[in-house]
Amino acid sequence: MVRHFLADNSLGQLLDWLSRFGALHGPIRTAEGVEVFGPVQAEDDLLLTCRRTLIPPKKYLLPPRQVILNYTAADGYTLPDETAPQVILFGVHPCDLQGIAYLDRVFLGDRPDRLYRRHRDAITLVGLSCEPDEFCFCTSHENIPRNADLFLQHVEHGFLVSTGTSKGEGMIAGLEPLLSDLNIAPQPLSENRMMTRLREVAKNGETFPDSPLWEHFATRCLSCGACSVCCPTCYCFDVLENGALDGTTAERFREWDNCLFRAHGEVAGGTNFRPDRRERFHYRYLHKYLGFGALAGEPACVGCGRCRVVCPVGIDLTELFTEGGDARP
Amino acid sequence: MTRPALAIAGLTACFGCQLTFLNCEAELPTLAECFDFTYFPMGNSRHDIGGEFSAALVEGAVSTPDDLETLIRLRSRSRTLIAFGTCARWGGVAAMNNHLSRDAMAESVYGKEAVLTGSFNPGPLDRFVTVDFSITGCPPEKNELLATLAALLHGTLPVFPQYPVCIECRNRECLCLLMERGEPCLGPITQAGCNARCPAVSIKCEGCRGPVTEANVASELEMLQEKGISREELIRRMRRFYPEWDYGQRA
Repeated sequence: MVRHFLADNSLGQLLDWLSRFGALHGPIRTAEGVEVFGPVQAEDDLLLTCRRTLIPPKKYLLPPRQVILNYTAADGYTLPDETAPQVILFGVHPCDLQGIAYLDRVFLGDRPDRLYRRHRDAITLVGLSCEPDEFCFCTSHENIPRNADLFLQHVEHGFLVSTGTSKGEGMIAGLEPLLSDLNIAPQPLSENRMMTRLREVAKNGETFPDSPLWEHFATRCLSCGACSVCCPTCYCFDVLENGALDGTTAERFREWDNCLFRAHGEVAGGTNFRPDRRERFHYRYLHKYLGFGALAGEPACVGCGRCRVVCPVGIDLTELFTEGGDARP
Repeated sequence: MTRPALAIAGLTACFGCQLTFLNCEAELPTLAECFDFTYFPMGNSRHDIGGEFSAALVEGAVSTPDDLETLIRLRSRSRTLIAFGTCARWGGVAAMNNHLSRDAMAESVYGKEAVLTGSFNPGPLDRFVTVDFSITGCPPEKNELLATLAALLHGTLPVFPQYPVCIECRNRECLCLLMERGEPCLGPITQAGCNARCPAVSIKCEGCRGPVTEANVASELEMLQEKGISREELIRRMRRFYPEWDYGQRA
């Protein structure tokens, strides 16, 4: 198999070249020491061996809070007309690429979301291989996701560069002076045992109804929202509208929601579909691991490990999978 | 078109909430065109509660007979009564020592000759009258105040977040002071809306906005005690802005 080889010392040139197409963003460390996706000012800022950023790249596609409609008496509701800036998102790990593929199916499926489309079209994805740690369990960190415009796989002294998109093929052609050909054997696919178990659970529709873990989760959960903020595939949002001080115009916006919040299942009159935390955990489990609606049977979990890292009380839904399967009649 | 009449008043308080209103400098000319500030002792020289109000924003806790009289007069003359700030909504700093003896506290401040003035334990407005809406915070956030005033012009009231400070803190990708530094941050049990103002500058949340809906107080205490912080220390911190937490509450 022929792939293109980029030497370590050409990385700076690659970044310079990429910067011509848009603002270069990638994993960087904030002044407080948090690893985040953000604008890359210098090559040295880039964290090439970062395990995971606090928030996944979904923030570029579905911002935490976003105006979705403007209202005026004359024009009614109209879509905000600002354009999305071109962004080169560098260093996106396979789990996060899978997360974006999932969001694409949700937001660009049967009824495309025009604001999501606007941001998605303005982003060039440059993937990067990574080393798993004790928190994560993606399908295969060597398996190259198909939605990366460029994918860089760490090898000795450099990277193997490949692409899964037609946009990427054009980019590789433009990069030719930096690349050389290298013949290597395709790497064997490896799948983490946790992900194998997760897929099995989804296939069988297991829900562990009698597990004592549910009560254990519900008792400890602070409903702080970190698990969904940091999840690459949590896309639930709330929609609100605020009138302006002029008394006639208004803004409608959406903001990230979490299924462990009371308001998530609350409807007019104060009735709630999921009045207690235990029911909310069941719901979270169903959506995250078994999928529903058009994505039924598709686990949304990409194994990035963020929810296990960020929970202040150490709740880990995957503990359910270490139990036996549902009791069969 | 007649402008809606507003009352802005303070009871037992520092008047910092009303200052939040005056700090809306860019919007004040617009606000003056939109509303008639009929009763606003801190901001103008008319001091009689005459006429009726579309809405009254009332700052502070109720702790004296005068407070109670002012509150009842405003309630009876206002279509919408808004608790403005943490003291009005939750009791606030004035109420933090409500569990102690008032006689002993008076003596510690004024000496043995202290004469009690008829004041009583400070409490939030809703202990005495019906409250239609609240803007919490010590001080309240400008944007929540302006959203409320704008909503009044539209004949409605805004919907504020019912989630804790943590979500705003995570959204801003701040360092989690609780997990990374083991600090007694009250973010998980405190009402959001401040956009994680303190954690964003590495100061742990002190809970100034009061309890979030369905706060898991018991779990927060367990988690912080596991980090080696004493229950007494935690309760002292929590009582600073709201004296009546249910320490066993999980939902």
